[in-house]
Amino acid sequence: MNSNPHNPKISDSASHGPSGAGDETMRLIASLPAPAGLEDRVHTALRVPPRPARVLAWPKRLNPQSGWMRTAAAAAIVFVVVGGGWGVYTRVQHNQPAKIIAMPARMPAPGGFSSAGAMRTPQTLPGPVAPQPTKANPAQPRKNKKPVASAKPANSLAHPAVSKSTAQSGQDK
Amino acid sequence: MSTSQAIYAGWMEIPNSAVNDETRLRAEDAALAVLVDQYAGALYRVAYSVLRNPADAEDAVQEAFLRVLRHRDSLGEVRDHRVWLIRIVWNIVLDRKRRAKSRPETDDVDELARVLPSTGLSAEEVAAAAQHHARVLACVDRLPPKERQVLILSAFEELTSVEIASVLGITESSVRSRLFRARNLMAGLLDHQRSLR
Repeated sequence: MNSNPHNPKISDSASHGPSGAGDETMRLIASLPAPAGLEDRVHTALRVPPRPARVLAWPKRLNPQSGWMRTAAAAAIVFVVVGGGWGVYTRVQHNQPAKIIAMPARMPAPGGFSSAGAMRTPQTLPGPVAPQPTKANPAQPRKNKKPVASAKPANSLAHPAVSKSTAQSGQDK
Repeated sequence: MSTSQAIYAGWMEIPNSAVNDETRLRAEDAALAVLVDQYAGALYRVAYSVLRNPADAEDAVQEAFLRVLRHRDSLGEVRDHRVWLIRIVWNIVLDRKRRAKSRPETDDVDELARVLPSTGLSAEEVAAAAQHHARVLACVDRLPPKERQVLILSAFEELTSVEIASVLGITESSVRSRLFRARNLMAGLLDHQRSLR
């Protein structure tokens, strides 16, 4: 059986193959007649092309096709861009000095030994020293308390080296 | 004639391009009407073989012609209108089939019993034939998509293997190899069904 004159190979294998029942069914489906009046219905559908469904219609004055909406959208975009740029400009501080911490330069040790990559730490700066409160003698009453300078002997006020030398000179005498 | 009169005369005059456009539109409409009369039935059969629902198939045909209406400017560039239209409706039905949920098999049986030719057959014979065809179609649905598509299109006697290749966008040798595989798979599936019964 060769039902397809244009395509003999396909038709031959269809009729003699093991799936002949499948081809028969498919051919039966493919040869079903179109329903009556199909062409007329298609013609009608083509004459009245479907409009895009809209629940709410624009009033005539606000018709988006008139171009006002495009203008408004463009103005809104310009406003947003300019406003954003102005906001950024006002927040950014100009000519701000850079916050840089100067680190001490790594110098090799002068004695010939290398520092072996050790980081030299800077010496702590001498800061203000808080005056140490003098210890008051709890045994003495407050009334008898005298100034420290007058209570101590003159030697005690002198420099220890000076006092030592004076002591030595005394011994020599 | 004064200058203003000349301007008004030129303004009121209908330009030749408008007349040409209208003529061209009418010609395109007439060509589209001819295409509908000529190929609506074939497109319906293609759509029905995939969708297996008369209403869906008719919708697909209408959608295909609406697409043609939208792109009627390119009608003159088409070489083979039949294959071109089948390709359009084929893409539409495949898209719809992909979106549609799978229907129960009983719907297919009822639908087939209604649409199949039943001249000289009793009601029982019609029902049995419908069940048989529904089983076969269920096997077709189980085929891989590429093989299934070739098998469906090969059932159309109007389409050659070259035209099937053109519709599917593949080579003719691919059509033949896919069809061979589809038939072997179908034979296996039908044998399996028979052994189960």
